[in-house]
Amino acid sequence: MSSEGLGSGESTLETIISYILIIGVVVSVVLEAIGITLYYQAYGNVQISQNKAVFISGKDFFAFIITQVPHMFGSMSALTFITLGLVILILTPYVRAITSALYFGWEKHYKYVLITLFVLVVLTASLALH
Amino acid sequence: MITLLLMSVAVGLLGSLTGLGGASILTPILVFLGTPIKIAVACGMVAIIATSSGSASSFVRERIANIKLAMYLEMFTIVGAIVGATITVIIAPVFLYFLFAGFLLTSFVNVRSSLKEGYSPPETQDRFSKWLGIDGSYYDESTKQVVKYKATNSLLGGLGMFVAGIAAGMLGIGAGAFKVIVHEKVLKLPAKVSSTTSTFIIGMTALAGVSVYLFSGLLNVTLMAPMAVGVTIGALIGGRVLNKIRDRSLKILFLVVVTLLIIQMLFKGVTTL
Repeated sequence: MSSEGLGSGESTLETIISYILIIGVVVSVVLEAIGITLYYQAYGNVQISQNKAVFISGKDFFAFIITQVPHMFGSMSALTFITLGLVILILTPYVRAITSALYFGWEKHYKYVLITLFVLVVLTASLALH
Repeated sequence: MITLLLMSVAVGLLGSLTGLGGASILTPILVFLGTPIKIAVACGMVAIIATSSGSASSFVRERIANIKLAMYLEMFTIVGAIVGATITVIIAPVFLYFLFAGFLLTSFVNVRSSLKEGYSPPETQDRFSKWLGIDGSYYDESTKQVVKYKATNSLLGGLGMFVAGIAAGMLGIGAGAFKVIVHEKVLKLPAKVSSTTSTFIIGMTALAGVSVYLFSGLLNVTLMAPMAVGVTIGALIGGRVLNKIRDRSLKILFLVVVTLLIIQMLFKGVTTL
């Protein structure tokens, strides 16, 4: 059964979005899984830690990516992979929102440009300010 | 971590099939096992970005979820989620047990009446919904038919989604149950469009919640990682089988799961008092 002509009528965007979502999730989950494996190798157990280091800390998500993430590549520890997985997971719906806004702009669906931009602005503000 | 991983796979499958989103099943279990509720909530919120996006990917590719409807409704859910998550960071944990149970209870009461097959679109569509252009069609594999649908009452639906967003943000869940009710009862959408679009929206709503929890000191990555991995694997399996299951079976599964969760959270709340 071909799915052409079904859905909301925005076939191209639907295809793009389905790829963004699946790629983001798969990459993130693979990183997390590597992280869990490394954690097991490093500590010999996979207990859920209560150590302060396993709680994420910081203020601005975008600053966190720019300042902390490059540092992490030096260590390649379990927490590096888990944190990278987390960052990619957070970016997945975010990139989806950016793509949708661009697509609706390209298609001149201005109502939906406004709708997606609103979502994007609120998310950006909340990620940057908390 | 390994037990949690395996448990999360089972929960992810169940969460995806019922449209509940996974965390609303996993969080009560974690709390039962002794995890502080706020930490379970924060980690659950991250895990459901993964669940939602994983299963939404196939729902969008199969053209069942309606992305325009989703984007419109997300405006409301994300604002709600930010408000809700902020409240959770501040309030005493004991409130959260009862809110969790109470929230699940409303979904249980509402869905009981809709145990029937079939869908008929609303007679009329209000001007705002028409302006938004929320309509579409999907191919239902269980009945082998193309189902055409349109949404109505979009403004009221949006307000419903704001409430769903607050609950989602506060409880670290998708609030899928509540979203599905708004989709079916207010917007008058077919069951499968409702649950799949709800799953799609949950990812964005969870991101808004996570934006608050991220640096709140509640996010334990050794808890979050196995949850996210397990729940996603379960959800991917769920996404593959959903369209092959009849609406009625989905609703019965939904009822059973919700009942068990309510009992568990109430029990926890009462014993903490």
